[in-house]
Amino acid sequence: MITAERKPMEEIMGYVEPCQRILLVGCNECVTVCAAGGRKEVGLLSSALQMAFMKSGKVLQVKELTLERQCDPEYVEELVREIDGVDAVLSMACGCGVQEIARRFRDKPVFPAVNTSFMGASERQGVWAERCQGCGNCVLGLTGGICPIARCSKRLLNGPCGGSTGGKCEISPDVDCAWHLIWERMKALGMEKSYEQVMPARDWRTSRDGGPRKIVREDLAL
Amino acid sequence: MSFRKRLLAGEFVVLAEMDTPKGVDISDLINNARRIKGSVDAVVVPDMDKDVMRISALGGGVLMQQQGLEAIIRVCFRDRNRVALQGEILSAHVLGIQNLIVVPGEDVSFGDHIETKAVNDLDEIGLLKAIQSLEDGIDMAGFELKGAPSFTVGCTVAPYTDEEEMKREIAFAEKKIAAGAEFLIAPPVYDVAWFAKFVEGARTLGVPIIPTVFLLKSVGIARYISINEPSAHLPEDLVTRIRKSSDRTGECVKIAGETIRSLKGLSQGVQIDALGWEHLIPAILEQAEV
Ligand code: SF4
Ligand code: SF4
Repeated sequence: MITAERKPMEEIMGYVEPCQRILLVGCNECVTVCAAGGRKEVGLLSSALQMAFMKSGKVLQVKELTLERQCDPEYVEELVREIDGVDAVLSMACGCGVQEIARRFRDKPVFPAVNTSFMGASERQGVWAERCQGCGNCVLGLTGGICPIARCSKRLLNGPCGGSTGGKCEISPDVDCAWHLIWERMKALGMEKSYEQVMPARDWRTSRDGGPRKIVREDLAL
Repeated sequence: MSFRKRLLAGEFVVLAEMDTPKGVDISDLINNARRIKGSVDAVVVPDMDKDVMRISALGGGVLMQQQGLEAIIRVCFRDRNRVALQGEILSAHVLGIQNLIVVPGEDVSFGDHIETKAVNDLDEIGLLKAIQSLEDGIDMAGFELKGAPSFTVGCTVAPYTDEEEMKREIAFAEKKIAAGAEFLIAPPVYDVAWFAKFVEGARTLGVPIIPTVFLLKSVGIARYISINEPSAHLPEDLVTRIRKSSDRTGECVKIAGETIRSLKGLSQGVQIDALGWEHLIPAILEQAEV
């Protein structure tokens, strides 16, 4: 899933300070799971904003709404009924959701209330970690199901850099060394031989380096 | 005799690592180069070691050659993409550099420009293969070169804490050799018996192995390494030996010299890392009886 964290209150206030009425929009998908921008967080931010306004002797009207999926035009259309009369939209979805609202409602300012971080998985309650960088040409089949692009700080494709200590990456004792994990997993699977396989220099065009990407499925297009 | 010829002849080579300055005052570098000229076979110039911005390895290498010292420059893929790397490698050849060592480099968070963006377009294997291809007269995109460079190319072996990690490093070294590495630079040796195990395991690799000998400089550095770098295998009695000595610098020089002496016959040379104290290299080599 896509992970995000709420922006600091001061930054959000900086966006909405000139407004009297805003539409605060959450999303029921990833940001709900990582507790950054679901229905609950919309409620909390709404109260915090109204209190902050009250403290400075002003009033902020907040319309709260949490869409099923903010990155999907079908659900963003639901905002048509709500958007008239508000000065701005404050979105608690990932960057995709914010941009979908901006695309649909060209005359309304849209501000992000979260910092979108990475594609990751939950390691334990309250902890998420990066797992994939959407490189567009997955190599997990060759690396024991552990991604060297997203999880090795140097994106090494063929083996460790030598900086790891006790299985942790040289950047921090809190980060596992991807190549340590790969080697351990290969051993456990009896696949040490695959380790000898050479991965050639990558063609990064399938990744973000090839410019903004798009998937077109003719079979699904209407 | 050149570094390459000595390697091929199976002779013991002495390399000295010398870093470039941050800034354009090269007087210390040149003075140190003059001091070690004649005692070492070549100088190894790091490529933005620890990602600290400074004069580039190519710049440093050319300066060494101007002083009549053979240069070996390190090439790292952290700060440049394949286009910049290949261009730099061609430049190195025309500027007279004959030797390269491909290294992974430390993460940018170790450096002095921590806000930067690491490139990491290639990895060690990708870079070694790129050099191989340039030597064959073709760049990574398949275009023919007007004149192909040639180099003696090495790579590094990462430190290993236990035999399991050593096995992994040897397997990785095998890949690097298949990709064109002709010699290996091994991590600093403090315990020669531990290094001998690596030599034993790496015998089948069939390339010269040149371990690093690190001048400890102080009891503080020795203690830090022994506590924080388990892969260094730095014996506790070495720390005690430096601590108890009335001339600690002299003791560190002695230790480095003794290490080199006991590496003769076990390795095909040493790379001395004196961390800026290159003026002590002649004294180390005297102790080593090289
Ligand atoms: S190899 Fe690419 S697609 Fe697969 S997990 Fe890693 S970044 Fe994601
Ligand atoms: S320590 Fe491991 S994860 Fe970190 S950069 Fe090196 S190989 Fe990659």
